[in-house]
Amino acid sequence: MHEQDTMMVIAMARLLRDGERAFHGVASPLPMVAILLAQRLHAPNLVYINITGGVNAHPESLPQTTVDPRLLHGSHVIFKLADIFDMSARGDLDTAFLSGVQIDRQGRINMSVIGSYAHPKVRLPGGAGSAAILPTAKRTILWRTRHDTRTFVEQLSFVTASGNVDRVVTPLCVFVMRDRYLQVESIHPYSSAEEVRQQTGFTVQTAGIPFTPTPTAEELAALQEVDPERVRLVEFKI
Amino acid sequence: MVSKQTTLAEAIASVADDSIVALGGNTLHRAPCAAVHELIRQQKRRLELVKTAGAYDVDVLVGAGATDRVSAGFIGFESVFGLAPQYRRAAEQGRIHVKEHACYTLITAMRAAAQGVPFLPIAGMLNSDLMQVRDFKTVQDPYTGQKLAAVQAIRPDVALVHVQEADELGNGRIYGSVYEDDLMARAARRIILTCERLISAVETARIPELTTIPGMLVTYVVVVPQGAHPCSCSDLYSYDTDYLARYIAACNNQEDYQRWLMENILGKVAAA
Repeated sequence: MHEQDTMMVIAMARLLRDGERAFHGVASPLPMVAILLAQRLHAPNLVYINITGGVNAHPESLPQTTVDPRLLHGSHVIFKLADIFDMSARGDLDTAFLSGVQIDRQGRINMSVIGSYAHPKVRLPGGAGSAAILPTAKRTILWRTRHDTRTFVEQLSFVTASGNVDRVVTPLCVFVMRDRYLQVESIHPYSSAEEVRQQTGFTVQTAGIPFTPTPTAEELAALQEVDPERVRLVEFKI
Repeated sequence: MVSKQTTLAEAIASVADDSIVALGGNTLHRAPCAAVHELIRQQKRRLELVKTAGAYDVDVLVGAGATDRVSAGFIGFESVFGLAPQYRRAAEQGRIHVKEHACYTLITAMRAAAQGVPFLPIAGMLNSDLMQVRDFKTVQDPYTGQKLAAVQAIRPDVALVHVQEADELGNGRIYGSVYEDDLMARAARRIILTCERLISAVETARIPELTTIPGMLVTYVVVVPQGAHPCSCSDLYSYDTDYLARYIAACNNQEDYQRWLMENILGKVAAA
């Protein structure tokens, strides 16, 4: 039995490929840990790019805010956010991590408002770079630390961004984009098909879906080295 | 060469009400907080704030009533404290106009201003609802016919930028992440630069490649140690978690908030 934060970062790390360029932006502790973990496990040549301008940084300690200049440590260059957006725009960014307060069946995200745009019930932070990155990065992995019917919805209040979503990692399962819609790819071992169906606001097929492989001893040991203070938990507190 | 060094009070007095003000730094890092506090002390009104990703700086200007328009891609305290309380409440109550951007559209808007053109096209954006609600226009590539989002230039009246080191001519060195400060400095009509410490113009001339903010574009330079506090300043200090926690707690009701503003900003004099 592994806790949600651990299962999620390991599932996210497994999706990353050796040699590709992966980026995370603001408010992204889980992607930060997942990228560093993948580098330590199966993807030593993964290029880690973050919003501070760090390229292949190896931070001495992990910050709770992912714009922290600590995420530059060990970088040989400052590749600024504007440079990163340009790289995505010209088709040279392989994988981006983005999130949404609401996510729909088509993998579209809402980071702007709950309720009407003009008179919102809740004003959300905004999508940061997602409206530019999601359609231009070769693929995007979405993650969200909450999996319930308010998060995975039939109808978004607002489409902040839509584009090349490949996977969505949640505390309960991994979705894969297939035939233009999110399909359940695997269910985390501590959850169940019933729970995923109940907590998802759009219809999903769960018959015959395998469990996400349990974290291995090697993965857990590497995670302990990468994130000994379990900074990733900060995402579950808000 | 004439020194541009002055006091924070004099520098900020030059910012008119209704100005478009760009803020350097990003979320909780190297934001020009001392200059922001002085804007509040001088009771500026109806400022338009421009920032890719803001946190405390934008939130406290909203809470103090200094702004009614915010152009930004993201406003929040990240996973540390979550939503920006004053900003979200003001937006929900219709007291501020949220001019929501993708960070890239804001960067593009400043690039257009820096280049002296009215707009620039960018990739992406077209399938976002922001196109409609924010009235972003499209443009057709005259060569291929491809449709692209066209981002209108934003020319800030003033950029407030905090750096680790500057000389009295306004040449500023940024250590660590630059964020959008270099671009902002080229897009804005004027720059007010605050710095942790003054270095000699001989020193900046010795290694000009370390100068990110060109002094010739700077109107005023003010020495303000801890000028980014409560945000971080790379190599010198981290963000002040206790201060920010007290700020967030004070946002729970208006009385606490007004007292907090008085004790921490209005009742204090500028440190420089």
